[in-house]
Amino acid sequence: MPRDGGPAIEVNALTKRFGDFVAVDHISFTIDRGEVFGFLGPNGAGKSTTIRMLSGLLLPSEGSATVDGLDVGTETATLRTRIGYMPQLFSLYPDLTTRENLEFYGGLYGVGDDAIVRRIEELTQTIGLQSVLDQLTGTLSTGWRQRAALACAIVHEPPIVFLDEPTSGVDQQARQQFWDLIADLAAGGTTVLVTTHLMEEAERCTRLGMISRGSLIALDTPRALLETLEGLVFVVDVDEPLAGVRALSERSFVRDVGLSGTRIRVRVAEDLSDVRARLGQALATAGIAVREIRPTRPSLEDVFVALVGDAGGEDQ
Amino acid sequence: MAEASVRTKGLCKRFGEIVAVDGLDLRVEAGEIFGLVGSDGAGKTTTLRLLTGLMAPDSGEIMVAGVDVRAYPEDARRRLGYLPQTFALHGDLSIAENIRYFADLFCQDLGEVAERRDELLDATGLAEFTERRAQDLSGGMKQKAALICALIHRPTVLLLDEPTRGVDPVSRRDLWQIVYELPAEGVTVIVATPDADEAERCSRIGVIAGGAIVDAGTPEELVARHTARLIEVATEPTRQARRLVHDMPGVRAVSALGGHLRVSLEDDGPSADEISSALADEGLRVEGVREVEPRLEDALLALEVERDAA
Amino acid sequence: MSRPDTLRRTLAVARAEWIHNWRDPRSLAIIIALPIMLLLLYGYAINFELRELTFAVQDWDRSEQSADLIDTLARSDYFTFHSLVETGEQIERLIEGGEVRFAIVIMPGFGEQIAAGKTGRVQVLLDGADSTTAGIAQGYLEGVMRAHSARLMKRWAKSRGIPASAAQPPIQPEPRVLYNPELKTASFIVPGLIAVIMTMLAALLTSGCIVREREAGSFEGLASSPIAPVEIIIGKLLPYAGIAVFDVMLCIATGGLIFHIWPSGDRAALLVVSLVYLIASLSIGLTISSVARSHQVATLIAFLTTMLPTMLLTGFVFPVRSMPKLLQYISQMIPATHFLVVIRAIYLKGTGVGPYIREVTALALISLVFVVVAAKAFRKSLE
Repeated sequence: MPRDGGPAIEVNALTKRFGDFVAVDHISFTIDRGEVFGFLGPNGAGKSTTIRMLSGLLLPSEGSATVDGLDVGTETATLRTRIGYMPQLFSLYPDLTTRENLEFYGGLYGVGDDAIVRRIEELTQTIGLQSVLDQLTGTLSTGWRQRAALACAIVHEPPIVFLDEPTSGVDQQARQQFWDLIADLAAGGTTVLVTTHLMEEAERCTRLGMISRGSLIALDTPRALLETLEGLVFVVDVDEPLAGVRALSERSFVRDVGLSGTRIRVRVAEDLSDVRARLGQALATAGIAVREIRPTRPSLEDVFVALVGDAGGEDQ
Repeated sequence: MAEASVRTKGLCKRFGEIVAVDGLDLRVEAGEIFGLVGSDGAGKTTTLRLLTGLMAPDSGEIMVAGVDVRAYPEDARRRLGYLPQTFALHGDLSIAENIRYFADLFCQDLGEVAERRDELLDATGLAEFTERRAQDLSGGMKQKAALICALIHRPTVLLLDEPTRGVDPVSRRDLWQIVYELPAEGVTVIVATPDADEAERCSRIGVIAGGAIVDAGTPEELVARHTARLIEVATEPTRQARRLVHDMPGVRAVSALGGHLRVSLEDDGPSADEISSALADEGLRVEGVREVEPRLEDALLALEVERDAA
Repeated sequence: MSRPDTLRRTLAVARAEWIHNWRDPRSLAIIIALPIMLLLLYGYAINFELRELTFAVQDWDRSEQSADLIDTLARSDYFTFHSLVETGEQIERLIEGGEVRFAIVIMPGFGEQIAAGKTGRVQVLLDGADSTTAGIAQGYLEGVMRAHSARLMKRWAKSRGIPASAAQPPIQPEPRVLYNPELKTASFIVPGLIAVIMTMLAALLTSGCIVREREAGSFEGLASSPIAPVEIIIGKLLPYAGIAVFDVMLCIATGGLIFHIWPSGDRAALLVVSLVYLIASLSIGLTISSVARSHQVATLIAFLTTMLPTMLLTGFVFPVRSMPKLLQYISQMIPATHFLVVIRAIYLKGTGVGPYIREVTALALISLVFVVVAAKAFRKSLE
């Protein structure tokens, strides 16, 4: 039954059309076992559609994909027992307690009565659910709900887990803890495919696919993606940041500029010499006093914008 | 000018057992871009709905642009622009028709509206899409169209409820570009967001938790108040490293990014070397340690930890 | 709050709603297809019944003329000849057993009277328990008999060499209805059906329009503007008032084309009274839409609160004056009770609304009350 030999997920020119609209457009990638693969892109880019195809909820229009060696188009029944799926919307029964939800989902996947007791104990330990085990899930905070939902998604010990925007709207601490849980899962050999539109947290994935308008625009480790912009992002400290942003946005060598707090964050074109002088001069011409210009670490959002935005492409 | 643009005092709102807003005091001055920062369920949306008069508070005062919202909700609404979290335009109306609809609801002079509309359409890059139905727009375009409609009556106070959630980063920059221009026109902006990155773009922020403001100030002030030293440790695996460092004395908070930790330390906390040797002792690979400048997300995390400890 | 502002906001809501209805395929289907479909469904059911209309004959006369009449009926598309019977008891047994839908009793002397150019008497016994079928059967029976009669008349006049108009109608059917003396004929049912379908449809149309905005999120944009509740309610009513009158026209046309029953009286007046009548239903729909939690719930409530009382308590099926006193009072509060009187009069008696000013006033008052209720029920809040 387990097909531990091959890759966890293999996607080949997978395409989904809704009428004229191409939601997912010939994407291909492979995810190895134990990876935390991040699927990164704005709402409507095709993340959820892809996950739904991979979990057998939607049939591909074209292309193919296997999950745990099973074809997503033809072997959906077996497929569903091999994956855990945590949808974007809160999917637990709010008028059941966490324990009752776990029992329910365990029952759905045919986990036996004895096994479920043991499994709940296990999950209580690993996910830290003690304090909320007997609370109605409807009364939990967003962070706890997401943890409970994760527990339900993995109650049948699937080798592959899909998490759709699991940390949307939770606080910083809960977010850190949730990513720790994801790391734990992966360390235990589970393959995790997680979608997010939050670029910062995507750095905790082992590999990232950036998706925009249905197409995969980048596929690499976070570090490699960040290195593409190394030395191109600067922080500028000025007296009038708003005026500074305006002045810089008119310069053709400036690719992207915005405020970060009271400082200006600016990304410049590649292969420029003496960027600091150019920036300083642009601001001086506009009569803006500059306190400091220094390079800063690029973010994944910078990478995304560079890939999508520099082409002048607005979503149509 | 002495009067704050938005002020609440002891604002309370309960839904059955749940206290959504719990004695909220807010003071936002004219021309500020104020970030209301908190996680889902902290009370952001309820607060904005109380400010618009869409919900009535159980107790407390609300003044918006010099108007008592509880007593004169319609007067307040004329001065308010509101971008709710849910898409507030009519899906089967075109952008142009939606703009006309809101101009009519606020009884704006159509000549002025035309001028204002063209200005905003240019700024958002939507000028060539005015005949497209709102439901057929992408997420980013939807939000930009909704922002135009919220601004069409030239409000003095603009309330934005998570305006960029799920929006692509390019549209997000366009949206902020428009927001940045507003203070110069005398508009006060309140942005509700769960996102530190988003909050960093505000001129001042109030951190909301449990329905009350737990701290407020400029992003720099908050960073200064809640972080002392910050070091970044490149280490693998980050998960164990985070746990280990988290339990060391003098450590305020630890967050993990891909391949490295951000460790917020007390002034008298462990040094970078002490941390890296502690990790090495446990057999973890340490590739580098450096002091970095704390950011708002570090401050927000530290603030949460402080609150939990209290 | 100045008057032009009020008008402008009201029209803004009306315009958005109007556009929505033309662009949303589901709304268009409800507006155009549903009224036609409901009338057609009913028409089909009745036509189906008609093909099955079997009848028995008790022939006291046994003349050439009576045989001619029986032959004409049996050859008609609508009727199937069952048998000749001897006694009244046999007829009752056949009708009760459902074997025949009606029976013809041809009186003694029928043939002689026809031959003499006088009126021959025929008794028709109908199963009034199934009033719909009985009504339609009677209508067709009258039609067939009238045609037969005209033929006889022409033949008789020709044989005497006098103009046909001078002759007396030779056959006079005397319908006697068993079990249901208040028999309703097709021409009686069609206007009633229009009243029922339209009251339900009107409520259905508006039942979605506020709750839908709440579900979609556009409600927040509307509610955070300075518009007054009554402006929203009137703004929402306006386009649907137009649509409702259009649907009444659609119903009248369908009824005319399918059942061959057209209003014989003042049609313009009928549309005006329909409008007054339907504002009540539209407002009920809006009230439901203001308080309902979801679109589906609103639709269901709108259906139940309009359809059931209108069918049961207004004289559509059961005559109001045979109801218990309490129900009679209640029926006076249901707009369809009054509207039925007016629409039937315009259809059947060919009058205008003049004689029915009492009913029209009642309709106007009820509608006004429901508009006020709708405005009061509406909350510009998210709680």
